[in-house]
Amino acid sequence: MAEQGLEGSEPVDPSKHPSGIVPTLQNIVSTVNLDCKLDLKAIALQARNAEYNPKRFAAVIMRIREPKTTALIFASGKMVCTGAKSEQQSKLAARKYARIIQKLGFPAKFKDFKIQNIVGSCDVKFPIRLEGLAYSHGAFSSYEPELFPGLIYRMKQPKIVLLIFVSGKIVLTGAKVREETYMAFENIYPVLTEFRKNQQWYDTCAPVTTFCLLVHHGRLNSSRCDA
Amino acid sequence: MEKNSNHCKSCKTKTLIRDDTSGLLLCSSCGIVQDFDNFDAQIGGLDGPEGTFIRIGNSGSIRDYSYRDSKIYKAQNTIHDITSKLGLSRVDEIKSMINQITNGEFGQGEWFPILVGACCYVVMRKNDKLIPMSEIVSVIGCCDEYELGRMISRVLEFLDLKLPEFDMVKTLEHAMRTCSTFREFERDKREMMLKQGIFMLHCAMKWFLTTGRRPLPMVAAILAFVAELNGVRVRIDDVAKEVHATVSTSKLRYKELLENLVKVAQGLPWGKNLNFNNIVANAPLVIQYMEMKSRLKPNEKGGSLEELAFDFGDVVSECLRKEVEYTSEDYGADKDYDSKYFEIKDRKGDPNCSFDDGDGDGGKLKISQEFLSRIYSEFKNEAARVNPIVEIGENGRRKPRDYDIRACEDWWSGKSELTKKLLLKQVLEKDVGFDAMPPSFVTGCLAYDRRKQKIAAAKVRIEKIMYPSTTDLSNCHDLRCPKDVQNGKKRKRGKGGRTSDLDWEDCVIETLLLHQVKEEEIEKGHYRNLLDLYVFNSGSM
Repeated sequence: MAEQGLEGSEPVDPSKHPSGIVPTLQNIVSTVNLDCKLDLKAIALQARNAEYNPKRFAAVIMRIREPKTTALIFASGKMVCTGAKSEQQSKLAARKYARIIQKLGFPAKFKDFKIQNIVGSCDVKFPIRLEGLAYSHGAFSSYEPELFPGLIYRMKQPKIVLLIFVSGKIVLTGAKVREETYMAFENIYPVLTEFRKNQQWYDTCAPVTTFCLLVHHGRLNSSRCDA
Repeated sequence: MEKNSNHCKSCKTKTLIRDDTSGLLLCSSCGIVQDFDNFDAQIGGLDGPEGTFIRIGNSGSIRDYSYRDSKIYKAQNTIHDITSKLGLSRVDEIKSMINQITNGEFGQGEWFPILVGACCYVVMRKNDKLIPMSEIVSVIGCCDEYELGRMISRVLEFLDLKLPEFDMVKTLEHAMRTCSTFREFERDKREMMLKQGIFMLHCAMKWFLTTGRRPLPMVAAILAFVAELNGVRVRIDDVAKEVHATVSTSKLRYKELLENLVKVAQGLPWGKNLNFNNIVANAPLVIQYMEMKSRLKPNEKGGSLEELAFDFGDVVSECLRKEVEYTSEDYGADKDYDSKYFEIKDRKGDPNCSFDDGDGDGGKLKISQEFLSRIYSEFKNEAARVNPIVEIGENGRRKPRDYDIRACEDWWSGKSELTKKLLLKQVLEKDVGFDAMPPSFVTGCLAYDRRKQKIAAAKVRIEKIMYPSTTDLSNCHDLRCPKDVQNGKKRKRGKGGRTSDLDWEDCVIETLLLHQVKEEEIEKGHYRNLLDLYVFNSGSM
């Protein structure tokens, strides 16, 4: 898995990424069961990097700096780890949290670690007509500009939700493994190219040129226009 | 004190008496206070105090409503109240939808008006009539648009419905119908203003000003612009408030609209003289030009330069035919000066201008180069003078710009198909003289460029440190980021007022480059991500 984290620094594999674009993973959410009941108040009192406000949220919020992540630790012993940029970072961070809990005197184990969600993003570098995409892929799309500026595309296979923005930026969420994110993007890319804005720029004509054009067309008679 | 027939719990005698003051039962022989026994129902009961019984939910009838009945009665009132405030006609359909969703129970509580609002929205949109969410929210008053939106999606999911495509034109029509400024006009005038609004809206759609953006601010901007075109004094703030749009966003959209009009105007011979400040005064001509462009068939558009010449020919000759002067009250002292270039009262009498009756294009106007240059230079002078006339009011606030725009009957033909309701595809096929990219896309491209320049500068700096002997000192100025690259920076870091040319972004880019991160990755700008992955690579086990 260590190699996967460094994929960005290696050449893009055209067989895996025919579009030539590799979505960047932005957030990994994982869960793990510490398999012991926890006294959240005791954790909050002993750990420096923890906050606990039972009136607001029934879990201890703990943060570590490397990997820069946040964990939600529940009294049942279940833990959610968010903010990692790769799967192995997420696992390492979860292990570090479990170790902290152990050091605080709880018999914490490390059971059922699972990646629950992977969020990725990328930029196709062309503008997209969201209205057209929403119209032709109505069964999968939801575009309500009153509520949200992006088009929400719910892909069935793989089951991924894509947020598509007019600027050409895409957010992919809902994957359990990164390959699903990549596959979803490769599926949507040809669709997006259909609705890309044709990059035609109309050059503005200088006044002299314009009048010359008038002359060439024979609308106006100006024999000395080209002077 | 009154006697009691019970036995004393202590001496078993029947000499129990009740103390009048405390109401306690006492034994008169031994003095023991007996157990408390004087429970007295305060209300109700056969001999309790009598009150006035108020019947709920009826007026004059004898029948009493149960909780369910009163709940439904109140719910119906709520529905009636909301629908009447929104001016809806399909009340029965809305009621039956709520009935279906709640299994005939309707409901009470804060959630119920939101459900009613959501059903109103769904019913109206299903029937091709659109009420903006913000208007419904303003009527309901107890939620925001997002909460209403969530309820709408729940309603749609529950009923397994799919809403038709969101229609901007209908939003504009609705806004114009409800906006008090436009209600005052006669029907014909209003129709014409609506057509102008639809035309401008289609242009805005073509220019990506509406895609991925809230519709109401753009609608407010177009309404304000159309009002200004027709000589109606209205503040965009007022229009925005009336159509429930955010004022600042509406102003921003208005600015974007004008900026795009300026870009369209660059296609005109005197376009270089038109700018953001004088575009409103010259908007009729620009719109006329856009109308003409849009009337061309798509395959004609490909005619490029020749067809462009055709358009300009039309524009100029039409202008020359006009006897109406482009005057302005504010600089109208010398009206004769104002519009001579459009005013040809006696064409045959003008030595510079004559009709060429000889050739096949009989009746076509021939204009000499001198005359054309005079037209252009005079326009140039005038355009400079049409700069916004901004006056400072008594309260220190700027008064709105004061223009005199020709009566729209003169310039507005309304023949373009863009004044009708069109499909997006049809709108995109039309040419309005300018094709824009989405502002967010342009911003993204600029950010990429800025990062590219920063990367290049960082590479030079690294090169200089690593190979000081080989680096050409003449390139020292490249070590710093160009000024325009740093325009995004808000504050400079440094002690004692000393400013550094390098900001945190430069340092991050240097670090990433030193960790062999690909430039393409850095250009994306996900610095935190890259730092985590390549610099603090704690994930590798």
